[in-house]
Amino acid sequence: MIRTERIDLEPAFVLHSRRYRETSLLIEAFGHDSGRLAVVARGALRPKSRMRGLLQPFIPLLISWRGRGELATLTAAEAQGEIVPTQGSATLIGFYVNELLLHFLHRHDPEPDLFETYRRTLQRIALEEDPEPSLRIFEKRLLQATGYALQLEREAKSGARIVPDARYIYRPDSGPEPWDPRRHSGAGISGETLLALSEERLSKRDTLREAKQLMRRVIFAHSGEKTLISRNLWRRRRSSDAA
Amino acid sequence: MSASPLIARLVDALRCLPGVGPKTAQRMAFHLLERNRDAARELSKVLEEAMVRIGRCESCRTFSEDPRCPVCTARDRDPRLLCVVETPADMAAIESVTGYRGMFFVLMGHLSPLDGVGPAELGLDRFQKRIESEGIDEVVLATSSTVEGEATAHYLAEMVRERGIRATRIAQGVPMGGELEFVDGGTLARAITARRDVDV
Repeated sequence: MIRTERIDLEPAFVLHSRRYRETSLLIEAFGHDSGRLAVVARGALRPKSRMRGLLQPFIPLLISWRGRGELATLTAAEAQGEIVPTQGSATLIGFYVNELLLHFLHRHDPEPDLFETYRRTLQRIALEEDPEPSLRIFEKRLLQATGYALQLEREAKSGARIVPDARYIYRPDSGPEPWDPRRHSGAGISGETLLALSEERLSKRDTLREAKQLMRRVIFAHSGEKTLISRNLWRRRRSSDAA
Repeated sequence: MSASPLIARLVDALRCLPGVGPKTAQRMAFHLLERNRDAARELSKVLEEAMVRIGRCESCRTFSEDPRCPVCTARDRDPRLLCVVETPADMAAIESVTGYRGMFFVLMGHLSPLDGVGPAELGLDRFQKRIESEGIDEVVLATSSTVEGEATAHYLAEMVRERGIRATRIAQGVPMGGELEFVDGGTLARAITARRDVDV
């Protein structure tokens, strides 16, 4: 059933926008109560439009919209609180986070908890020296919220508790299994990393590195084996940092 | 009245212009047919020729019918100064009003990973060759003041600085004739952050 909706002043972020007709924008937004939604901002690109500077990714907004079905019309947008100017490198990471959301969120699936996580993650990557721990926690919670929760405390088949000192191989579809050097290639992943990710306490370098590899594989498997484009931008930057 | 097939085709073809809907297209078509056939013939000739001959300048990537555009071949410009813009329209704007006398590089867009636009699509390999081979002292980053424009500027600034070249970003702030009360919050915040010493 399609009904007309009218929402006033909902906290939201713009995830992505593109031009629509001459002066309008087609926006993919993430609303606190509405989840992912598509709205048209009519006349947003006109020189005198007051929304022009606001309808950008990473700015906390309050949006009002009305409409029915797939595409709604934006009626108002105002900034919520202080506008933190995002610096270049944080922006590139932010693009990656937005791309993840666009991959995993379905339209009109309310995700208020994930919305809060997203808001805090944006603040952290703008302020923290090393954004990796916050990114991994965001990825973990995103997977959890969208039905791909990682199994981090027990083995997939036996159900045995994960032991910090043991090594495991993680199967994206089922979960961790004991790592066997004769059967499995690579080095597997340590129980310590799985538990650290479960408790969201990521501080050691090795743990972070393993968590990153794990997340990359799991996200790749669940996003239809599509490579996320923004990650490449960011990786280039990181490698040039290290050099 | 339903138009004859050829008129209908003309009206349809005119609709490819930005901002032209069916009504406007029909008005244009009848105007050309009724009172301005010579101009219309000239238009069709120029259009045809332009579409065939105009390509990209091999140096700055702007539109040009020669391998290198007039700006890139001019002798009285400063070859050590390179300004990066998003579109040929941006380049024209800077050319017409600012008195800038350096060279240009036109990206034809900005980095936008979610639209599949990465460094390769913006011709950054060519940009890299230019900054490595042409003895440039300063790169002026004149991309838009949007999130994507800022990200692009940041990405380019890193490329430029890695090679020991100065990177500058165009200033942002209160517009000419702008009264503070009416300036939007984001712009005002930038204007305060990027304040500068007063020349006396």
